[in-house]
Amino acid sequence: MLRAVLSRIFGTFHRRQLDDEFAEEVREHLNMLVERFIARGMGPAEAFYAARRQFGGVTQMKEHLRERRALPPFDVLVQDVRHAFRQLRNAQWFTVSAALTLALGVGASTAVFAVLDTVVLRPLPYAEPERLMAFRSIDRRGAPHPTNLSYPTFFDFRARNRVFADMVSYRDERFTLTDSLPAVRVGGEIVSFDLFPLLGVQPVLGRGFLPEEEKAGIHVVVLSHALWKSRFGGDRGILGRRVRIDGMPFTVVGVAPADFRFPLDNPDVQLWAPLSEDATVSEFTPLTEQRGARVLDVIVRLKPGVTADQARAQMDLIAGSLARQYPDENKNIATTWVQPELEQLVGGSRKPLWILLGAVALVLLIACANVANLLLARSIERAREFALRMALGASRPAVVRQVLFEGLTLGLLGTAGGVLLALAALQGVLPLADDDIPIPRILQAGIDGRVLVFSMVMAVLTSVLFSLAPALQIVRVDPSGALKEGAPNIARGHHRFRSALIIGQIALGLVLLVGAELLIASFLYLMQRDPGFRPGHLLTFDIGLSETQYNVAGQLAFSDRLIKRLKAIPGVRTAASGRPLPLRGHQMSVAFDIEEHPAPAPERPYSDMAIVTPGYFDTMGISLLKGRDFGERDDDEAPPVLVVNEAFARKYFPGEEVIGKRIKPGATNGKEGMRMREIVGVVGNAKQEALNTEPDPIYYFPYKQLSWGLGTIVLRTAVPPLRVEPAVRAVLMSLDREAPMYDVRTGEEVSAAAIAGPRFLMVLMGSFAGIALLLTVVGLYSVLSYAVARRRREIGVRIAVGAGRREVLGLVLREAMQLVVVGLTLGLVGAVGAERLLKSMIFGVRRGDVSMVTVACCVMVITSMAAACVPATRAASVDPMQALRSE
Amino acid sequence: MDRKGACYDTPLGMTKDRSEVLQGTLDLIVLKTLDALGPLHGYGIARRIEQLSEDLLRLNEGTVYASLLRLVQKGWIRSEWGASENKRKAKFYSITKAGRKQLAREAESWERISGVIGRVLRLESQD
Repeated sequence: MLRAVLSRIFGTFHRRQLDDEFAEEVREHLNMLVERFIARGMGPAEAFYAARRQFGGVTQMKEHLRERRALPPFDVLVQDVRHAFRQLRNAQWFTVSAALTLALGVGASTAVFAVLDTVVLRPLPYAEPERLMAFRSIDRRGAPHPTNLSYPTFFDFRARNRVFADMVSYRDERFTLTDSLPAVRVGGEIVSFDLFPLLGVQPVLGRGFLPEEEKAGIHVVVLSHALWKSRFGGDRGILGRRVRIDGMPFTVVGVAPADFRFPLDNPDVQLWAPLSEDATVSEFTPLTEQRGARVLDVIVRLKPGVTADQARAQMDLIAGSLARQYPDENKNIATTWVQPELEQLVGGSRKPLWILLGAVALVLLIACANVANLLLARSIERAREFALRMALGASRPAVVRQVLFEGLTLGLLGTAGGVLLALAALQGVLPLADDDIPIPRILQAGIDGRVLVFSMVMAVLTSVLFSLAPALQIVRVDPSGALKEGAPNIARGHHRFRSALIIGQIALGLVLLVGAELLIASFLYLMQRDPGFRPGHLLTFDIGLSETQYNVAGQLAFSDRLIKRLKAIPGVRTAASGRPLPLRGHQMSVAFDIEEHPAPAPERPYSDMAIVTPGYFDTMGISLLKGRDFGERDDDEAPPVLVVNEAFARKYFPGEEVIGKRIKPGATNGKEGMRMREIVGVVGNAKQEALNTEPDPIYYFPYKQLSWGLGTIVLRTAVPPLRVEPAVRAVLMSLDREAPMYDVRTGEEVSAAAIAGPRFLMVLMGSFAGIALLLTVVGLYSVLSYAVARRRREIGVRIAVGAGRREVLGLVLREAMQLVVVGLTLGLVGAVGAERLLKSMIFGVRRGDVSMVTVACCVMVITSMAAACVPATRAASVDPMQALRSE
Repeated sequence: MDRKGACYDTPLGMTKDRSEVLQGTLDLIVLKTLDALGPLHGYGIARRIEQLSEDLLRLNEGTVYASLLRLVQKGWIRSEWGASENKRKAKFYSITKAGRKQLAREAESWERISGVIGRVLRLESQD
């Protein structure tokens, strides 16, 4: 065996020499035969022919031996590939259209796979990622759900924990870099000291944090590699230097590696500071001492040999004892939640991405069906060529191999194009598309080795898929039959097969169409839903005001001055500030006690809250329904007041007059404790979350009575909102050169960002359905065109015996209709499945709504009929005389 | 030899089967010829086979070369250039040690199979 292979390898590289040798051998053999025949008394010419006869086909034998001498796969492969290229080059239109079709299918699949791979399949980029867990408390109120921890609770867990090697709390914060102008606002993360050891990451420069750096008054920072490069010029002497952050000197202790990101779902983070930032005493109680302020995410590393379940059991014990020790704050969070960090990070993205991959696989199948269709049409034209090759001695496997090689070559061409398309989509389009797509690590998606392997596998699989049909046809070809005129049998078999492909395409296309339609309908529903404020002509932005330079009174004064100056800008109608804005999610949830139904702390209701300046409701376009808005007089000296929204009034004071009611919220200035507040106004429901079906109850504080820093500034403009931005910057510069302006968005952008996730799904699914529809229609068109061409003669006869234009049109359209109806019927089953799969991603569409399917079917029928019209008209215009004469 | 050949040479319907059997038979004959007569060129082998069985090789003499290549590749025979009887350059084939071993194995299995088939045929004719 090995000998044979070695001999063949030798043969492969000495082809010419061996060919010559054999030619010589044969020549001698023939000479000897000739001499023998002459000796028997034949004439020289006669002897020559007799010798040839006796030897048999010299050329055939040479061919045969040549094939045998060399490595057949390699030798023939080169030959087959060369032949395949020649074939494809000769049929440029065919090649271009087939390769483009494939490129579309493979490109879409590759791009989606790249995203899925980066987001979902890849492990966390830290040491031993499988032992990293997300840790939360479980809030038992309502449907029990994981909730953040407060610092005191976290410290208790950390002190008593025996199952985790490290426990690290983290929360997002914004920092202003003011060491040089212009001041910039960067995202940062306030973390426990052992973040870097927990993740198994070593800073490239310097070190991580020390335990004692969690103490109040210490300001140290680790910079991201990018920030170090961009802001500090990659200066290695940065260690130990003091940089001004939020107006305070921070000592740089380290620089993170270039590819380090934490947390992965917040790509803006550029620096890390220990939790000493939250322990630093200001006018308020430090966050680290507020047991009720649940603001922390926690990541933990399981000790070796400890399972997540064992860990949870032990943490539950601690949570239980904390609940008894601090009933007011901890009674409702007496259990814990431990889940793999990867799952917590990407669990929500998994299903949509798999669904997209499924959808794109359907597109690829449809593309393959189209290419198979093209190849089949071509193999009918080439049936004679194949038959001839076989008649001339090519073995059947050789011809099938040739077809498969043409397919593979085509597949590789298509894949190359597809990978380029995917690259363009990932690098060109994805970053432009949206910063707000709520899918972690999506922007890191690219074409790497794994993805390329995937594409290669796709190429091979698809080429086998689409060349299978033509190859099977060849296996059945009878060389003698196919060489005869017309070869009707093959053509008929082909046609049946092609019709089956079209039916399959229509069925798959319908599934995609219905899926896309559901997502589009759902998106339109979300778009049209009243967000409770008017997003048009609205500009929103944040300002990074240093809390060290402005005390509470200073911030209030700054806010007043700023808003007054902003209102004076030409084109600005009104200005105000508020925090949080609508559609920003549940950022602040705070419990309150109702005066008429007092309850112990753990049983009190809780709801979203916001802090706003006078004129906020007017500026945002949130309508005042009852009572009054806040005024400048609602300050610290005045009686404490609140405004609530309609949903709040309805939920907590059903059927009652809410104005004049009093509640005691847990949110305080820290100075005087909780105060009973009177509700003085009711406003319309502005949504906190775009995807919620029910409006969220919320209550608003006047900013002078609850000064938690400067809110987001909102401007109602008379001109397109971004036009006033330069003037706004100028005002800000004149007030404080060190206060950066960031997160500048129009109201429309705020609205759009809130539904970026559904839009992302919808756009992709819609494009896939569009591609699918296009491919299906093209396929249908080509099959019908071919059918018409094939039946030219028959149609000619029909017209000759008196069939009218309309009958002929009907003939073709009927054939098209049959295919479409069968395809749609099959597709309905898949469509129901698609609807079920998408259920959790659909808003505002009733389940089992048949109108969606009906519309999809109509779209399919109309486009199909449009595609069928061209060949149908061609059929109707057949000139009987020519048609009959042509064959 | 003739009877065994006839037994396998009956048309089996599928050309593939038939050619495979033929190949195997031919290889064996070539091997045995080289074993018995010493180094020979293709022409000489063809003549020898012609003597033995006209039926088998009536097709093409060229087929011998396919067989020779197969045997060379398996290492059962080797070839070298030499001078023919008429002083012309010719390639001579001779059997190798491995070829002799193979021949012994093949001959044994041939005999066993033909023995079995002979018995089967006798059984049937007795019925």
